[in-house]
Amino acid sequence: MLGFLLSRQRPPEARRINDDVIMRFDHVYEVAPGKMDLFPQQDIPAWDTLRIVASRWDHLAWMHDHWADSVLGVEELESEADDPDLDGIQASGVPSG
Amino acid sequence: MTADAPYDPTSDGELQQEFVEQWRNAAYGCFSSGHKFCREVCPVMQVTRNENHTPTAFHANVVAMEQGAYGIADVAEDYVHCTQCGACELRCPNTLFTGDFYRNRTQTVKLVKAMRALAVDSGVEQPHWKRWIEATVDRRNEPVLEVPVEQERVRDWAEGLDLATGGETVLFVDCEAAFFRTSVARSTAQVLNAAGVEFGLMREQWCCGGPASEMGYTAHARNFAEHNVADWRAIGARRIITLDPHDYITFTEDYPTYFGAAYDFEILHITELVADLVRDGKLTFTQPIERVVTYHDPCRLNKRKGIHESPREILRAIPGLTFKDVDHVTQWSYCSGAGAGLAIEKPEITAEISRRRVTQAADLGVDALVSACVWSERPLSEQGAKLEQPLDVIDLMELVAQAAGVDGRGVTAVRSGGAVAGVRGGEASRGAPEALA
Amino acid sequence: MTAPPIAQSDPFLDELRSILGPDGVRADKPARWNRTRVPAPFPVHRWADYAPDVVVLPRTAQEIAGVVRLANRHGIPVVPRAGATGLNDGAVPLRRGIIVDVKRMNQIREIDLVDRTVTVGPGINMLKLNEELRKHGVMFPDDPASYPCSLVGGRIGTSGWSLIGGRYGHTRDLVISFEIVLPTGEIIRVGDGGGRKIRKSSTGYQLKHLFMGHQGTLGIVTEATLELVPRPEVEFAAFFHYPSFQAAYESTGALTKSGLATLAGVVLFDEWKLRYLRRDDEAYIPQAENVRAVVATAMYGTRDEVKPAARRLVRTARESGGTYLGDEVSQGDWAARHDRYATPLHGRLRTTGQVVPMSWHCEDAAINYSALPQVMEEWHAIADRIIDRYGIFDDWGMFFYTNAAHKPWGDYLVEIDIGIWEQKLDDVNWAGWVEAKHDIAAVALKYGGSITACHGATREGDAELAAEEMGGGFEVMKAIKRVLDPNNIMNPGKYELDTAYDPNAPSPFSGRRTGGN
Ligand SMILES: Cc1cc2nc3c(=O)[nH]c(=O)nc-3n(C[C@H](O)[C@H](O)[C@H](O)COP(=O)(O)OP(=O)(O)OC[C@H]3O[C@@H](n4cnc5c(N)ncnc54)[C@H](O)[C@@H]3O)c2cc1C
Ligand code: SF4
Repeated sequence: MLGFLLSRQRPPEARRINDDVIMRFDHVYEVAPGKMDLFPQQDIPAWDTLRIVASRWDHLAWMHDHWADSVLGVEELESEADDPDLDGIQASGVPSG
Repeated sequence: MTADAPYDPTSDGELQQEFVEQWRNAAYGCFSSGHKFCREVCPVMQVTRNENHTPTAFHANVVAMEQGAYGIADVAEDYVHCTQCGACELRCPNTLFTGDFYRNRTQTVKLVKAMRALAVDSGVEQPHWKRWIEATVDRRNEPVLEVPVEQERVRDWAEGLDLATGGETVLFVDCEAAFFRTSVARSTAQVLNAAGVEFGLMREQWCCGGPASEMGYTAHARNFAEHNVADWRAIGARRIITLDPHDYITFTEDYPTYFGAAYDFEILHITELVADLVRDGKLTFTQPIERVVTYHDPCRLNKRKGIHESPREILRAIPGLTFKDVDHVTQWSYCSGAGAGLAIEKPEITAEISRRRVTQAADLGVDALVSACVWSERPLSEQGAKLEQPLDVIDLMELVAQAAGVDGRGVTAVRSGGAVAGVRGGEASRGAPEALA
Repeated sequence: MTAPPIAQSDPFLDELRSILGPDGVRADKPARWNRTRVPAPFPVHRWADYAPDVVVLPRTAQEIAGVVRLANRHGIPVVPRAGATGLNDGAVPLRRGIIVDVKRMNQIREIDLVDRTVTVGPGINMLKLNEELRKHGVMFPDDPASYPCSLVGGRIGTSGWSLIGGRYGHTRDLVISFEIVLPTGEIIRVGDGGGRKIRKSSTGYQLKHLFMGHQGTLGIVTEATLELVPRPEVEFAAFFHYPSFQAAYESTGALTKSGLATLAGVVLFDEWKLRYLRRDDEAYIPQAENVRAVVATAMYGTRDEVKPAARRLVRTARESGGTYLGDEVSQGDWAARHDRYATPLHGRLRTTGQVVPMSWHCEDAAINYSALPQVMEEWHAIADRIIDRYGIFDDWGMFFYTNAAHKPWGDYLVEIDIGIWEQKLDDVNWAGWVEAKHDIAAVALKYGGSITACHGATREGDAELAAEEMGGGFEVMKAIKRVLDPNNIMNPGKYELDTAYDPNAPSPFSGRRTGGN
């Protein structure tokens, strides 16, 4: 589906991540709704959640590009396997949405 | 402090109280932040540099109203200074970093609309908007200037194209495209034909109601919506194609609030559809276009909907074209200044926003600026024409039509130019309501 | 000393209009109320007490000089306002008067690629400036977490701290010279000596430093000549985690003493901060239990420099007990630090865990490395006390940032972030807040530190201690203030500098807390 359909805007069912956090869309954490009694949540359609998440990553990529021509990561340093300096570094790449 | 005597709520007191009640938490969400990450992306602020026009002030005013410091009459004019482009609310950390997590984001556009509605409902109207809306109600379509606007002429743009009425898929042609820049409408229709997309027009298309809603005339907005949806239902429409981003917003954000779950139309924006047709090989570009262009991200597509990839995909598929892109995040702070009635009430600010936008484009050494928002094209064209090296402003669908080898030229050729020659309109500023007559 | 309020029809406004033109003067309530607060903690329930009388929007130094001269004639206070992002209340008027809002002065006046400077108006924002400078392969690397919203005038007004100051220096190191309108209306330029683009001179007194960070009490900056550095080829950001604060603290020491010249900054997160980040930050929610403290590092420079230095840095972190958090977290989190903000919904009620919108107080003392653990314990205890007592506060944990330019080892900008539920503010809990703020500042002094590394110490709760911190220097401050600002019109009340004119002048805050003014 290319377009907008109201009936498709309901987010998927929530899965519990821990006492305070749930997940509806893959890799997108959300507060447990029970914590939002005093400051109510909005009715945010699916497209909007996805837009915010994508925009965040676009923004962060933009910031990197704003500050330097390229970004050097430890994974790149590590991939130069013969480097004795890097023995034993654990890159625990965390899956965060 | 004598200068700060308490505000005396008059007849609008009750309305205002309700409003404050409704917006209080949202207002504190910003007031308690107050960091102004929104300021420098705001196209109006970039021009006026007046803190009254910041989203920060737009929210803080609610807190001040709650304290009884002042009322709607004191601030209504400040809220004119907004194109509802959505940059501020997207750039706001309360949206960008935590909006998805808390299911609660900054909604400055919604607040501006609500404040404008409060103003109208309290009898505090802006003179040019008032006349614009009156004329829209009168003619069922926006009184786009310089051309005669009448309901009977809403299909004139399609003259000779032999388009159907009704059917499952409807092409909704924005007022500016239907009456002023008709080449956009013709290009779009013919591109769809060339790609074998079956579609029809409405029996009687009225203004989408978006502008009325943006200016605070909610009841009128709703009337337009009721009419259009009734027309869609009557002709069996299931899918609506929009060629203008403002309509896309109205149909995906306003209409659902009016009609609830019964609103079951698929709303499809033309850039998404055309990119898909190109991807599937249903639309092929046979005519090389040897030009150097850049792309203007229409605010309502890019900032408000996150649609920035499909137009670029289309541009990259056009043979011969040299496309000098400016990324869509940089363009969060770009705008044409045309949106949300700013051009009607404050044409000088719109003109300055547009002037800056075409200058940014010209600095890239391009010979044309491609937009995908027909409303942006008039002020941008006006300013592009004034540059030392005049810059063409072209609608993406005009370009697509040419690349696909169809003739998209408009019926009001003087104003709508050739598909690629673009519009070099004169001073078609919208500021003078006298011209409405 | 306070002049009577200016009425809307006051001829004084006409005088202002004759200087600035009609569109340069706004006396309507929304204009004034919206230029009252900044994001520093603010007694919102007393908003009206702070609203200025009139706002001016100048375009030139001459206009500002005219306003200042007029203000002297009438004895009316003048408060400069740039981005209004201050986390200290420098731009909040304590005695009403005229707000001089410099946002319209945002022009780039000269880009000099030969002598490597850019000259700008005080109303320009750094991100916007750097978008232009990028075309020339250079940048102005003043990078506060308010990078997209603070303005050059305010950076000078506060003497700001930059996230990457370890490599490039902070505002005072990056501003070469500037033009300032003195409190009596003369326009002068200050720098190191007299040369507009000279970075180091021994002529005369070091006036640039005198007019750097004065919070608008000594004049209004109208133009600044700034440093240009080559745009970095490479950015390297690496975050490491540790099983305890103590382990991370020791590793921080090892990293900052490494002597790596491309090291732009090191940030230590304490255990409270980690618990707080697990509330809602996608990078930290999924982290294992043993991730209790974090150290963030970043480097900038040419690829040839950064790559070997990065290797060395990673080795040092590992040898001192750190475990790498991965590229995605490191790079994602670092990119978010140029515009880091504690959003209101981080706020939680201790009693119920409910989310409520809280305003952010960011303490910013400067403390030596040796004292960080003690300060951390004592500050959290203060936070704990007010959370329990008033129910409208929340402890959002602490950061420790390397503080000195090019010398990141000895002292730290120490930040405790405290949430304040503003919707519930009243005189009682505001007084409780001020007392806590005072106690926090006192701890900084007890350990030989400074109340503030970058925001300024004019906040209620701090200001009372500024004299103590300055010692005999405070007398010099007062003497300077008296001479330069004979009528006490520049941002009066700040830093308790009213005592420069009258030793018995009351605190500007004392009346407010008890309800009168
Ligand atoms: C999210 C966020 C993150 C932040 N992070 C940092 C950080 O990392 N580092 C840091 O240093 N600060 C930080 N701050 C605080 C703030 O951004 C800085 O203090 C900044 O320097 C203030 O600039 P401004 O333009 O907003 O000034 P304002 O708040 O408008 O003014 C600050 C002070 O300068 C004076 N002033 C303003 N203009 C002039 C002028 N032209 N001449 C003389 N005096 C003037 C004002 O009177 C006031 O006393 C942060 C703030 C926020 C909201
Ligand atoms: S709208 Fe968002 S970015 Fe702007 S001041 Fe308010 S909270 Fe901050």
